[in-house]
Amino acid sequence: MPLIEVIEVTKKYRKGDESITPLDAVSLEIEQGEFISLMGSSGTGKSTLLNMIASIDRPDSGRIIIDGTEITSLSRTRLAKWRAENLGYIFQTHNLVPVLTAYENIELPLLLLPISASERKRRIEVALRAVDLLDRADHYPRQLSGGQEQRVGIARAIVSHPKVVVADEPTGDLDPVTSRQILDLLKRLNEQLNVTLLMVTHDADAALVADKQFRLDHGHLVQTGRTEVPVQSREIHKQHRD
Amino acid sequence: MLFRLLPWEYAIRNLFRRPLRTTLTFLGLTTVVTLILVVVGFIRGMERSLAVSGDPETAIVFSLGMGENLEYSSIPMRTSDLVPASVPGIQERYGQKYVSPELFLGTEVRVGNRAPSMGLVRGVNRSALLVRRQLELEEGAWPSTGEVMIGNLVATKLGVTPEEVAVGRTLEFEGRPWSISGIFSAAGAAYESEIWCRLDEMQQAMKRQDLSIVAVSLIPEGDFADLDVFCKERLDLELQAMKEIDYYASLQRDYEPIRWLAWLVVVLVSGAGVFAGLNTMYGSVVGRIPELATLQTIGFSRRAIVISLIQEGVLLSATASLFAAVFALTFVNDAAVRFTMGAFALRIDNIAILAGCGVGISLGFLGAIPPAIKALRMPVVDGLKAV
Repeated sequence: MPLIEVIEVTKKYRKGDESITPLDAVSLEIEQGEFISLMGSSGTGKSTLLNMIASIDRPDSGRIIIDGTEITSLSRTRLAKWRAENLGYIFQTHNLVPVLTAYENIELPLLLLPISASERKRRIEVALRAVDLLDRADHYPRQLSGGQEQRVGIARAIVSHPKVVVADEPTGDLDPVTSRQILDLLKRLNEQLNVTLLMVTHDADAALVADKQFRLDHGHLVQTGRTEVPVQSREIHKQHRD
Repeated sequence: MLFRLLPWEYAIRNLFRRPLRTTLTFLGLTTVVTLILVVVGFIRGMERSLAVSGDPETAIVFSLGMGENLEYSSIPMRTSDLVPASVPGIQERYGQKYVSPELFLGTEVRVGNRAPSMGLVRGVNRSALLVRRQLELEEGAWPSTGEVMIGNLVATKLGVTPEEVAVGRTLEFEGRPWSISGIFSAAGAAYESEIWCRLDEMQQAMKRQDLSIVAVSLIPEGDFADLDVFCKERLDLELQAMKEIDYYASLQRDYEPIRWLAWLVVVLVSGAGVFAGLNTMYGSVVGRIPELATLQTIGFSRRAIVISLIQEGVLLSATASLFAAVFALTFVNDAAVRFTMGAFALRIDNIAILAGCGVGISLGFLGAIPPAIKALRMPVVDGLKAV
């Protein structure tokens, strides 16, 4: 059974008099431990799909089931709890809380979980070590470089051992060298922690780090690689996977 | 608990994010709470002055139809002999009845070379000490010929420094100088703003043979009705009697509009404070919309974020309230205020502190809620994109 099932998800919105459908009955299945990249031009709906899987946006129709829970039917309060327990989110602009240190930023998701202070400390240290920032634990975001900030963001996303980690253009704000380091880090975390990772990017090279690459084109999902395969329905995608 | 709160440090450190704005708001809130404390202290001081002035065992006899204007009362001198002789139930010790004949008036008083100002003068004899039981001589001695003793708020009432009306100094009224022989207190009663001299000397200076009032102390089981009946039966004297506490209660009623006006000032000043709080919290929240959306993405509930924002507002307003309370207790409490009926001390008591700090903390609370709700109504996805 796949960890993430996106079933016939449609999202529409209006821009002036024009009706735009960035996602048109999109279906997708992601297995536990897979690293998926999602590409597309600006405005094609890739971030919209990612945000719906992250449960901070809702589809107009269709369902999203993650580890057996249909998140599209949960209330806002339950969704907040679900995110705390199951989701890590890596932002393009890092989105660290400026008044908290790196250590305290990474601690935030753990404050939502029923774990002891000593366990919290242990997990933060493990996460800091994983992103190689143990010596920057007491630094505030303004005292860190862009790459270091993003590594703190990654540590914050993985520290609660979520089932799913989503990354929205995680290298979009970084220089090429730092981008490469961040992508390597994501790949390493995916392999070592077996974390399921969905990354949105418009950088074709960055997308290649993932196990599978998808592209959103005119509201439809297409798996890319040597041959592009449109993924129009759950069944088609299943056949392709088999 | 159904939701987990953000760390307390988050609220505290956010206050230091925009130090200038926070400092200005802190000063604004401190000013608002101080003003509230001053106004409530004024009300409390006035109420206390009138409340403690009345002795439940004391009654006063004065001219019929004078209302509360005792300065205009004129009753025959013999009333002070007729009342104890005719009315049972008056306190007595060693053959001395607790009856105090008094001549009371407002007159111009000059201190040194200053322009004269309106003062309250009471001519009494030693029996006043039996009836006015709150009175304590703080300094000096009971006045003899050509002397007066003054209440400890007389300097405020006359608008002069305490040094200018110290024991041994001179003041002038009714066309002659009077040497100050002593200073008394009266537990906050209205007499503290009065000048007391010997009754016979005052009558002589004013060329009057009458009295303003006769004050009597009734024994606990004494019946005020006897005194009242006496006044009503002696139509020739044109007297009326009133319990002293009733007299001061009627004065309190006269000052009711002032009290309401003062409370209105509290409300208006508080309103200004709410805007100060709102301004700060709006500024603070608007610049943090993506951050608040990030916290929601991580899994913090809207309620937890609203509580954190309220913590910020309340923390700032509570600190300002504390600062204002310390300031008011140090510099405002017991400050004397001139008033038509005399003078009284501002009282920053428990009630004033409770009112001032309660309003202050409410300002932080009320100021934080609208911007918090506004920020959190925005969908998380839009919040993350907000600049």
